[in-house]
Amino acid sequence: MNWKAIIVVIVALLVVGVALKPLEGPIWEEMREREPALRMEDLEAALGQGGTIGLLGGFRAVVADMLWLRTNAVWVAQETAVIPATETLIRLTTTVDPRPVYFWLNGSRMIAYDMAVWRVEEAGGYGEVPEAVVRRYHDEQAETAIRLLQRAHEFHEERPEILVEIANIYLRRKEDLEMAIEYYHRAALMDNAPAFAARIYAELLRRAGRNQEAYVWLKKLYPTLDPTVPQDLAPIVLSRIRELENELNIPFAERFQP
Amino acid sequence: MKKVMFSPDRIKVIAKNTFLEAVRQKFFGFLVVIALGIIASSQVFRDFNFGAPELKFIADFGFGAIVLFGSVLAIVATAQLFFSEIENKTAITILAKPVFRSEFIFGKFIGVSALLLVFTAMMTVILAVLLFWRESALMEIDPEGFEAGRMVAYADVFLYGLVQWLKFSILCGITMVIASFSNTNLYSVILSFVVLLICHLQYLARDAWTQMDFALVQVAVFMLATVFPNFQVFNIGDQVALGESIPIGLTVRIIGYALAYVVVFNLLAVFSFRKREI
Repeated sequence: MNWKAIIVVIVALLVVGVALKPLEGPIWEEMREREPALRMEDLEAALGQGGTIGLLGGFRAVVADMLWLRTNAVWVAQETAVIPATETLIRLTTTVDPRPVYFWLNGSRMIAYDMAVWRVEEAGGYGEVPEAVVRRYHDEQAETAIRLLQRAHEFHEERPEILVEIANIYLRRKEDLEMAIEYYHRAALMDNAPAFAARIYAELLRRAGRNQEAYVWLKKLYPTLDPTVPQDLAPIVLSRIRELENELNIPFAERFQP
Repeated sequence: MKKVMFSPDRIKVIAKNTFLEAVRQKFFGFLVVIALGIIASSQVFRDFNFGAPELKFIADFGFGAIVLFGSVLAIVATAQLFFSEIENKTAITILAKPVFRSEFIFGKFIGVSALLLVFTAMMTVILAVLLFWRESALMEIDPEGFEAGRMVAYADVFLYGLVQWLKFSILCGITMVIASFSNTNLYSVILSFVVLLICHLQYLARDAWTQMDFALVQVAVFMLATVFPNFQVFNIGDQVALGESIPIGLTVRIIGYALAYVVVFNLLAVFSFRKREI
């Protein structure tokens, strides 16, 4: 091999690389803005993304589908022995193709709800296992699921259902009302949020004893609802407003007028 | 003695022969059949699809076939056609005539690049036809879902094909440079695949080099990020599949970036090949 020629080639490529930076830099920035998978802060995730996008191209969709089938085939055993394999397959599926929200949501549900139950059942069942142990299993699984969903949020900042899912895990598994309120609030503020997110946010505020905040929120919400859209449940929201007015002893003269 | 001038005609002859030789190779036919089969089979695989809408899945699948098989073809065909000339001693016969080594390299490059163009065009047309046929069927089933007209931007599908062909041409140039100083076909193929991987991941080095503590490591990482072209800039498939249009300004800059590297790698291959003993 002609080492002198190789060195000249490398030096020339270095010079060309520097010379083309003003052209390539803006292209790269624009591409990055358009492709969330290339925006990863986490090196390991970025490595996975760069490789799969570049080398698998569109095949990552079908590879991820196959991995998801495999995840389900392992998950169906429903025992603690398959927890590491199931979690690994979920992570692998979402690394290969992070675009479908379906994988993130269903994967996090398996981790937070199913796996916590498997662990309790194998330790003797809900009636037998001490409450503190049940709590620990629920917490551990919930935290793993929330970490997965927070990664999902990095890819899908515009999708409220991920925030709703995190809020539900805080509510149902970690029993952390304040965090559930925070995530429902974030989801409800999004333009494409489902109608129920705003109502549940208000309900959770009530549950937390923050009636005044719930009242202010619902008063702001009501005018944005469409009475012809069944999902908006405008009459229900109005009845909640009335309930809160009674609880807060709001004078009739100051009550909300739709 | 009459001075021999650089001749585009000789390049044309070498390119034509390279192209014909490549098309006659079983490997090319095999790849075409496999890639076409895979694109067509996206209809079958869509039954296993969980996450994405059907048309997006088919587009994704087709783009995957184009990228994967196009990359394999660009590396293997270039290395094979280059070394076949050397191993069969035909390179000696050609270069003993008044043919410049640069003409030999340019001819080889144009021949392989034409082969890659044919391959990419075939795949893109098949994919577009498949998408059109499936979209038409879906429009009949669910006219409300298509009130705004067709979802697939077919011009962008062809733009994707063009951008991938340019990427394959750079890959062909890289393989040519590697082949010009290496001794075996296999070594060239393996090294080219390694470089392909680096080109896809070099953006990570760029992100990392400013955060490194050691100056020496910083220099090494900076070199890695600068020496290799950034192949991620050619990944417009996700946007095309999602129905986002690619701005014309961005397209022109991507094409300019690709052409600059095509020229550079060809010149470097000529430089390296001129130093080589055949």
